[in-house]
Amino acid sequence: MNSEYIVEMRNITKSFPGIIANDDVTIQVRKGEVYALLGENGAGKSTLMSMLYGMYEPDRGEIYIRGEKVVFKSPSEAAEKNIGMVHQHFKLVDNYTIGENIVLGIEPMKKKFGIFPYVDMKEANEKIAKLSKDYGLEVNPTDLISDVNVSIKQRVEILKMLYREAEILIFDEPTAILTPQEIEYLLKIMEELKKGGKTIILITHKIEEIRKIADRCAILRRGRLIDILDVKSTSTQEMANLMVGRKVELTTDKQPPKFGKTVLEVEHLSVYDESKVEVVKDVSFKVRAGEVFAIAGVSGNGQVELADAITGLMKAGKGKIILNGKDITNEKIRQRTEDGIAYIPEDRQKYGVLLDFNLRDNLGLRKYYKPPFSQNGILKFSEFESYAVRLIDEYDIRCGQGGLTSLRSMSGGNQQKAIVGREIEEHSPLIIFVQPTRGLDLGAIENIHKEIIAERDKGTAVLLISLELDEVMNLADTIGVIYSGKMLKVADASTLDSQAVGRYMMGVTEA
Amino acid sequence: MSYINAMITSGLAFAIPLFIMAVGGIYSEKSGITNLAVEGFQGFGAFCGAVVAVFLGMNTGLSSSAIIYVAMLFSFIGGAIYAIIHALLCIKFRADQVISGVVINILGVALTTFLTTTINTALFGNASNKFTLGVSPRFSVPGISKIPIIGAVFTNIYPFEIIILIIAVYAWYLMYKTKFGMRLRACGENPQAVDAAGGDGAKTRFLAVMSSGGLSGIGGICFAYSLLSQFSPSIYLGYGYLAIAAMIFGNWNIIPTFFVCIFFGIARAGGYQLCLAMGLASIYSDLFLMIPYILTLLLLMFFSKRNHPPKAAGEVYDKGKR
Amino acid sequence: MKNEKVPSEKGFFAWLAKVLGHEKWNSVTVPIFTIILTLIVSSIFLLILGKNPLTAFYSFLAGNGFAAKASYGAGNGMLSDFFAFLNIMAPMLLAALAFIFAYRCGLFNIGIAGQMLMSGFMATILVGYNKALPAAVAKPLVIIVGLVVGGLLGAFVGFLKYRFNIHEVVSTIMINYIISFLTGFFINSRYVDSITRSSKICSSAARLTCTKVLIGGYYCNVPLGIVVALIMVFVVKFIFDRTVFGFDLRAVGSNRNAATYAGINVGKSIIMSMMLSGCLAGLAGVTYYLGYTNTIIPKTLAGMGYDAIATALLGNNTPVGAIFASVLITIFQNGANYMSSTLGVAKEIASVITGILLLFSACSGFFRYLSKNKLNRIADEKRALERARKEAESK
Repeated sequence: MNSEYIVEMRNITKSFPGIIANDDVTIQVRKGEVYALLGENGAGKSTLMSMLYGMYEPDRGEIYIRGEKVVFKSPSEAAEKNIGMVHQHFKLVDNYTIGENIVLGIEPMKKKFGIFPYVDMKEANEKIAKLSKDYGLEVNPTDLISDVNVSIKQRVEILKMLYREAEILIFDEPTAILTPQEIEYLLKIMEELKKGGKTIILITHKIEEIRKIADRCAILRRGRLIDILDVKSTSTQEMANLMVGRKVELTTDKQPPKFGKTVLEVEHLSVYDESKVEVVKDVSFKVRAGEVFAIAGVSGNGQVELADAITGLMKAGKGKIILNGKDITNEKIRQRTEDGIAYIPEDRQKYGVLLDFNLRDNLGLRKYYKPPFSQNGILKFSEFESYAVRLIDEYDIRCGQGGLTSLRSMSGGNQQKAIVGREIEEHSPLIIFVQPTRGLDLGAIENIHKEIIAERDKGTAVLLISLELDEVMNLADTIGVIYSGKMLKVADASTLDSQAVGRYMMGVTEA
Repeated sequence: MSYINAMITSGLAFAIPLFIMAVGGIYSEKSGITNLAVEGFQGFGAFCGAVVAVFLGMNTGLSSSAIIYVAMLFSFIGGAIYAIIHALLCIKFRADQVISGVVINILGVALTTFLTTTINTALFGNASNKFTLGVSPRFSVPGISKIPIIGAVFTNIYPFEIIILIIAVYAWYLMYKTKFGMRLRACGENPQAVDAAGGDGAKTRFLAVMSSGGLSGIGGICFAYSLLSQFSPSIYLGYGYLAIAAMIFGNWNIIPTFFVCIFFGIARAGGYQLCLAMGLASIYSDLFLMIPYILTLLLLMFFSKRNHPPKAAGEVYDKGKR
Repeated sequence: MKNEKVPSEKGFFAWLAKVLGHEKWNSVTVPIFTIILTLIVSSIFLLILGKNPLTAFYSFLAGNGFAAKASYGAGNGMLSDFFAFLNIMAPMLLAALAFIFAYRCGLFNIGIAGQMLMSGFMATILVGYNKALPAAVAKPLVIIVGLVVGGLLGAFVGFLKYRFNIHEVVSTIMINYIISFLTGFFINSRYVDSITRSSKICSSAARLTCTKVLIGGYYCNVPLGIVVALIMVFVVKFIFDRTVFGFDLRAVGSNRNAATYAGINVGKSIIMSMMLSGCLAGLAGVTYYLGYTNTIIPKTLAGMGYDAIATALLGNNTPVGAIFASVLITIFQNGANYMSSTLGVAKEIASVITGILLLFSACSGFFRYLSKNKLNRIADEKRALERARKEAESK
């Protein structure tokens, strides 16, 4: 047994109903190194690590920790072997304090009057305070999770691992939701952890991070291990090609914009959420025909509410929304669609599609209530069918049974294509994209980016809201940065670099 | 004056069993399992208690009040066991939690009625659908009970009221101070967090639903020993649903729910006493029996929008979800 | 997640998975599977009680005119039993349609029993006790009263949900009890028959069942309700399958957020669907109280209002499925008395069987899920084998 490796996963195979997530994958990680797993969405990186963390058991293959064979039946068993994981979607309880979240699962107990056991938060909070000082992870243990931002939530997740005395730390796409400055901070912490003798496994699809921090890198594609590389001696382009399996263009080509008249005007718009908190504060901007206006910002800064207010899903509290000169501030959703707003929502399964319906009905979702799709309130399915056939072909929607395919059985990428196709077919003067490429693989992302640019070149006004700074920098003609509900900066894209945008995203206004 | 005293005394006697059922509801829902099955749990629990009581009454020389305590214990056990069906359906079989609750209630009525009739036929040769239990003895605290108004609280108390309050205090302590409670409440907000932190979300929920059944069962047997003086299908009077309504006003917290239950109890007893005070015929009591339900609807109108039910309640939790 | 045994293409479970997981046919096969499970479990139950399950099931059929009884009273025969069966099946089918109508829009109408009682009560006092009305006026009037009263109650529930965010399950249950006490009070104080202790019977002009009609030499009670119910099956089916209105309701039921996004007025849909569900429940009420029973027992909600949920679930929440499901459940409910008399088992066993059926119906989603999983695993295995074969070849 070679105990040079702290973690060894040998010939791991794992399948889920319908997909083989990992196929005969072998990786070996040395103590104290930063080991990266690179791959697209759905390449099987998270699944592989979930097995190391005891969330699933492999169908075949073996796991060795410090040379000793292990079989984990649950995360707590993995935790006993000092393995910790920061999940992509944080596993935190919103109405608990930071301290309570950290101790959940291994609560320190004391006994009152020698009989009644209770959870001793006081001692726990002291221990957490010490840990957070040791590693430079600033948190206040008595703050509620619902009151802190994503960057702090991530620190809580890291502290959770350290509190459990984890030696092997798994990070699942830790930078996806952070600003460039927060990413710098995180990478620094990782350096600290590495210096402290911890072993780090980093799951990511961002090559630059790997370049900055990782020692070695395993590349996964469609569940299979493609290659293991030494990071120092490999070029970025090489990694990208290996990851995707073909040559990729890292940026989208586009012609200089031809701006037309103003299509959307938002004037002093304020939006209030259910608990009457002002989530969009006095925002004003204009989008012209033939322009991609991109709104950058960290998640939860009011951008989704802004889009919802423009499309009518939320009420505008104050201010005006003007579309092609018409005040639509108080119009119903359907009227706005008719007036010319197409909308690709952030959460496609929550808003964009009806999962229980078939593809044909979903494609007809914007048109079913009017001729020729229905007459006198009676639906005409032949119209639905021919329309669906056309869109399936034009937008390359992959589906098993044509228009009758159930939406639930389609992949996320194809669901998104269906939504994009349906909305583009409205030929609206304004089209709003919110996080259009979330959770899609590189091929699908490229595709959607091309559609966005094609719409702009046709003279449509495009409002793009994205959390991915790369996407904003790549596509925007004009960039607006939203922070804490306020539009901090609006400027021509050519005048801003990603560092500058990142600073505004964190609320820093002076350069 | 005697009307007011009677209102307080009988109001509490109604409110306290209702409260423990509501606590049962809270246990289940705080763990993320929507619970409309309280009605069925309390009926089935009461049935188990009643069967044990009838057996003990026939075969042992136990005093009737000792039998009540044993019956309460078995109601807890019976309710908890019956709740396993709800837990299995919701946690393991991914059934819709609302449907499961309704199913549990329908099955509860059918099963207990059928079994009561069958047992009566077998034991006494008469196909009656009720077990006669009698009313629990009551006591007054000497001295304090003589104080006007406040004394009514300490007059004619059923011993089970005291037991329930002790159980409720323990239930509160378990929910808010111990690690079981901490995980239980976390399950209702984000079960993934519990699993990821090394707790077993499914097991916690299972135990929570079983506790819910047990607590509801205690409520049921106490109604059988007070209001009804028997076990029969008339135990399904909808008090389980009333308990759910109390839980909703109480915003899923034990202490506010207690006061809501007291309010329900006083309102209901107040209606009765008003009916008596006005010298109305007994037919009119039906109109006053409507009061708690109408109040529930009215209160819901004002409170429903402000409520924060546990976030994960009602969702099928799939551990393998990625 | 456990390491499950390596599945194989063959074997009983694989076959079962194929049958239950079939995209097109699972809406039929899964209910049949739940029925078979129920029959097995009830048989075990009966065997424990020392009774012959086959005799029991035969008696259930015989009690409904699907099989011959040992003996009949004068002027009665299988046909009389069959019409009696239709008489009780009509409100059951309507009540199931009521549940389906709300359920398709994502709402649980647990208040069917209360809506039935209220519309039956109103029709009884408004039309049933009005001796002057001729049958040609009284019968349609009864139906209209049923529709209006049920519709108003349903709309009220929808309004409470939309305006105050009150969960319809809680509000309908509260309303059930209120109606039960309210009608109970009025019946006891004004309309009670001093001998039966329930409400006085209605005029035969208003009654929706024609009594003692001589058919083929047997006296039969011919229900008009069954005609109404069958018409409603097709009306409901048409609304959901073919109309824009039905599309809206289904969209709201499937995903409220997406329906809002698509510009559908969710509040209106909720109120409309609860209202129409109430209308159907009202129809069930008048066919039950002015057809089947012809009297109202005070302070008693019809168990049918809840059994209808079982019927709807078993019928996969489709109108046509509800026909088959209501036949089956009515056989159990209506045949209970005869079964009880031949077998000597308490007649409540029928409710227990319905309860078990309901329990398995609630798991039908799980059966589908299991079969899909199993099918997927089989497919994975096939693919793995295929790949292994190819790799071996390429080497």
